[in-house]
Amino acid sequence: MLRRLLLVAVLSLFGIPLSLAQAPEDPATPQAPLESPPPPPEAVGDEHPSSLPSSLVQTDAAMALGEARGAVRIAPGDAANRLALARALYRIGDLDAAMDECRVAIKLQPNDAKAHVQLGTILIAKQDWRAARSVLQEAVRLDPGFTDAHYSLGSVHYSLGHLEAAVQSYRQTLTLQPYFPDARYRLALLLKLSKHEQEAAQFMEEAALGGVQQAQFFLGNAYKSGQGVEKDLGKAVFWWTKAAEYGYQPSADLLSKLRRQALSPDQPDRKRKDAQDAFFAYRRQLWEEFREYSLADDGETIGTRLLKDRRSDVAVPTLLKEGYALSEGAQVELARLYETGWDNVLPPHDKTILACFELTAADGFVPAKRILARIYGRGIGLQQDLPKAKAMLKGLPKQEANALLAEFVTGERR
Amino acid sequence: MIPLSWPRLWRLFITIPLLQALTIGLLASVLAKGLWTLAPVTFTALDWTLYDTWLRVRAPIATSDALSIVVRDPDSDERFGAMLDRALLAQFITAVHEAGAWAIGIDHRLDHASPSSLGGAASDALLIEALHAAGPVVLVHDPEIVLETATAMTGHVLVSTQADRQIRQIPLLSEVEGKPVPAFGAVLYDLYRQQPLVAQRPLLSDRISTVTLNPVGDGSLSALPTITLSSVWEAMQHHDRRYLEDRFNGKIVVLLPSEISHGPWLLPTGQSVAGIVTHLHLLNSLLTDNQIAVTGRWASFGLTLLLASTIGWGLLRFPGSRGLVFAGSVLVLYVALTSIVLWGIHVVLPLPLPLTAAGLVVVAAAAWTHLTAGPRMVLLEQDMLRVQQDAAAIRETLTLRESRAEALEEDLDAAKAAVAQSTAQQEQLARDTIMLQSEIGEIRSQEQAARRQLEQVERQLTDLRAASSDSSTLADTELERLKDECRALGIITQHPVLLRMFRDLKKGAGSPLTVLLLGEPGTGKELFARAVHHLSPRAGRAFVTVNMAAISPELFESELFGHIKGSFTGATAERRGYFELANHGTIFLDEIGDLRLDHQSKLLRVLQEKSFYRVGATSPTTVDVRIVAATNRDLQRGVSEGWFREDLYFRLKGFVFRLPPLRERTGDIAVIAESALADIAQRMEKPRPQLSADALRLLSAYRWPGNVRELRNVLERAVALTDGTILSRHVFSLDETLSGDDGDRSPFPDAAGDKAVLECLRQQAFDMQATANILGWDRSTVTQRLKGLCFQALIEHHGDQAKAAVAIAGNPSHVRTVELKLSEYYNPLMSVIEPFRSVDEAVAECRRRFKNLPDRHFASVALLVRQRLPSTEGAPGRK
Repeated sequence: MLRRLLLVAVLSLFGIPLSLAQAPEDPATPQAPLESPPPPPEAVGDEHPSSLPSSLVQTDAAMALGEARGAVRIAPGDAANRLALARALYRIGDLDAAMDECRVAIKLQPNDAKAHVQLGTILIAKQDWRAARSVLQEAVRLDPGFTDAHYSLGSVHYSLGHLEAAVQSYRQTLTLQPYFPDARYRLALLLKLSKHEQEAAQFMEEAALGGVQQAQFFLGNAYKSGQGVEKDLGKAVFWWTKAAEYGYQPSADLLSKLRRQALSPDQPDRKRKDAQDAFFAYRRQLWEEFREYSLADDGETIGTRLLKDRRSDVAVPTLLKEGYALSEGAQVELARLYETGWDNVLPPHDKTILACFELTAADGFVPAKRILARIYGRGIGLQQDLPKAKAMLKGLPKQEANALLAEFVTGERR
Repeated sequence: MIPLSWPRLWRLFITIPLLQALTIGLLASVLAKGLWTLAPVTFTALDWTLYDTWLRVRAPIATSDALSIVVRDPDSDERFGAMLDRALLAQFITAVHEAGAWAIGIDHRLDHASPSSLGGAASDALLIEALHAAGPVVLVHDPEIVLETATAMTGHVLVSTQADRQIRQIPLLSEVEGKPVPAFGAVLYDLYRQQPLVAQRPLLSDRISTVTLNPVGDGSLSALPTITLSSVWEAMQHHDRRYLEDRFNGKIVVLLPSEISHGPWLLPTGQSVAGIVTHLHLLNSLLTDNQIAVTGRWASFGLTLLLASTIGWGLLRFPGSRGLVFAGSVLVLYVALTSIVLWGIHVVLPLPLPLTAAGLVVVAAAAWTHLTAGPRMVLLEQDMLRVQQDAAAIRETLTLRESRAEALEEDLDAAKAAVAQSTAQQEQLARDTIMLQSEIGEIRSQEQAARRQLEQVERQLTDLRAASSDSSTLADTELERLKDECRALGIITQHPVLLRMFRDLKKGAGSPLTVLLLGEPGTGKELFARAVHHLSPRAGRAFVTVNMAAISPELFESELFGHIKGSFTGATAERRGYFELANHGTIFLDEIGDLRLDHQSKLLRVLQEKSFYRVGATSPTTVDVRIVAATNRDLQRGVSEGWFREDLYFRLKGFVFRLPPLRERTGDIAVIAESALADIAQRMEKPRPQLSADALRLLSAYRWPGNVRELRNVLERAVALTDGTILSRHVFSLDETLSGDDGDRSPFPDAAGDKAVLECLRQQAFDMQATANILGWDRSTVTQRLKGLCFQALIEHHGDQAKAAVAIAGNPSHVRTVELKLSEYYNPLMSVIEPFRSVDEAVAECRRRFKNLPDRHFASVALLVRQRLPSTEGAPGRK
């Protein structure tokens, strides 16, 4: 279910409003463990997806269809009813019937820009780009201030390979509706593809700040390679982490790769140091988010400080961010929280904390391995699994590994 | 420089088989090319037959370890869908790049934007980012590019479709909408070799425009080792770095993210493949160095021309079946060569074009030979004529050279002899000077005596001339008187010339002058000598006859001059010589022409000084003797030929009487015969016989080489054999060859060898050396023979060189040579005699100069000299 929700979110962000999209049968995107619990996807535009589970969406669509059909039966000459039926048919995937209803609605009310936009959307779904373009251009003519018409036209232009026209459409969209992060992100992408790196980075940052995960991801990429912005791997980690927080897998993958780069002995020293410096810079950057605190010089992390100050709203997420950013102190604190919980704020054996340990341990972070070995060895919050614990101890100094193992075995006897 | 003209070019062309072969070969090649353009499909199929067969039967080539091909599999179809999201493709590119691939190629085109179902612009942006990060990645070229990327390179996946719709070659550079696009495989290969690309041109070779396929196995994708997309994805997900590095590190990695179905291109192996697959095989063959070279259009034509020309040359050079065997052998060799070259060094040579051209050449050569037989024959004849002319010219030159050389040799010999002679003469002169000075006084006194004698003789000559002026009008009575006087002296004649001669003799007999009698044997020289004696005042004195030819050389002096007792062994008593015996009388020196040269000088001394020394005597004996000499030899010729002393000859030439032979006075035959018969009959005591009329005609017609003596013998024999009194012609057994007219007989000796030599010369085309070799002689000997023959021929043809040359040459083809030789011999002769006024001197000089010329030919030389100097004969030389 979680996967499906993620998919819905991704699809919606790639420009296909979930309310209009055909129900995907098999998600193309490969799966990977999420770094953090996904926040509810933000709705972009009028027709952007709701956070409802798909079964509910399906049921709702069927009910809406029935209602729409009834309304059309009662008043067949009402264009609005026809349009509503078309929308319901589109939701259940009957594109041809939906298109017919749209055409009837346009016949009934030729100057209805919404009906044209709806027809354009259906044609986009049918990948009939040329027909969609003419219909959407008609909608723009009928209502030049209709944001959705411009937005959809941008997508159609791009699909037809007309980059400049698409850029123009998105610019028009943003002119009409300046706060439209998704349109901003799309414009940034197209500018990036048309080699306007700086402008692209600017729009991308605005979209990222607007909460668009892909924008955050691409902004991270831009900082990593210095495209349109000054190269800054720390900022790249920052934006990737932002995207990964909302479950954007490519970001999580890049972070994982960077961690491996920082931890793997096989890597060249320069690359390893660059990666370590990036995480270090990111951790220092986290201090800046809490201006009331100043950077501790005793190695204390901001998460630990927040925890001490019982800042229950931000302490654990910050600790998690630091834990993912290879902070040993944060992970130790998280291990304690995992084992004991935090009053009413956090129950013991929290899975998100465990996921942090598992992911960073898989990337080769030794403190995380040690913690995980203890969790598996002692069966903290899950079934005791000594082989897993032993596997985690692989690569540790022999003496330490043996002592830990002995401790686990003793604990088991008790 | 010889100007070129059409006939000259044609002659040159028709006489050089190589030139003809080249032309026929060129025409056949062009014609074959033209014929095959009518059937391009068949031609292409045939042209590549060997290559196609080779692909099917040869051992499979190796696959390169440096090439990794990542392909879709059912699992990846299930996992990624039919179309791969560009975001995923970006991940693959990044993974492959990070695994250490040296070059990455993707069967992907940037000709469209990703649809929103495949990630839209985000996926496109990710792909662009991945391409940027991975450095130069090779994509498939598409003119309608939508996504621009500075770092990606593109290559075409086109192939060269041939007329038979099969794929055997890939263009390295292909024009796509006016821009040159390198081949996908070639770009990857160049990237792999870490070589910089210049203007998107592959560095494989600037000269090669297409590469011939050398595929692995049947040329399909499955023939190449591949890795599945899903396995790579798995490794990526499990961060299996080792797996990825094993497969991609240091290699060319080609990602085939889309399904590779059986493409539209048909390989000779029977496989239908996509363009990208052919490029993968191209890449593999480049990496494993299994390239195939194909002869280009011009090289192919050149080979065809060479083969056709070679066969054409063979057919023209060896007419008939030998030429066909040659052509067949060359063809078989060529076919074998194409196979060997393809199997050995992977070079594809053309086959149908050369074979067709060869076939055309066979036909064309036969036709050409037939057509040009006539003109060739004409040219051949012209050539033969020219060669003959050349040979003749060379022979002329040779002849001139030979003659010049011989003339020079003769000059050299003469010069040498002159040098030797002058040296000897100088020494002799020194000795003689003293002796001559002592003799000068004596000679002066003798000169006075001689002057007196000369005056006397001149007076006598004047008298004789006066007498001879009226001799022509001798009266019959005078003749009768002279006849009687002759008869009294035993000379029986009624011939006026002889009678006139007798009258002169009677007048001269009184003088002391020496008388020289010339004439053939039996003409009555001795009778005339006796007549001189009887008619002279010395008639009462002794008449001594001495046959000079009969005297032994050793006893010459003793016989003529006598000796004293004990002067030599056997001289037991003093002896008087003939001169002493004839003192105050007359001595008749018969056969004086047979006297040896040393004896001649001794005799001369006696004639000059009228005194001599007996052998062994210390004091001279002086005698008064009238000298009468006779000979049947030509003393003048003897002088010119050197065997008779000139001074002796002049001393003897007081009165000269040349007695005519009997054949010149046939009127005397009857008289002499009558007298002789009377005499014979009396001696034989037989009745006096009479000659019959036919017998007299026979005797008159006979040549009588032995003159009167022979006549007497013949008559004597006839009388002896005849019983009757009439002598008919039957009783005379005369040599028939000596009868009749002898006007045609050559006056010159025809030596036995000359005819044979001339025949041999004619057979050898007057080549002196060849003739000399055959005869086993020295070349100069042959030359001297020919020279003599030439002089003889000139005399026989009265100096007409052309006729003489014809006569010598025998064969018209040799006339020119003989003419040259003749003029070469004749001109020096003329130049030698030119300074002389006297025939004798000129002849003597000729003898000296042409000393190697056989003696018998000097008669011809002498006659030629006389012809040259006719008016001055006998005059003193001006030299």
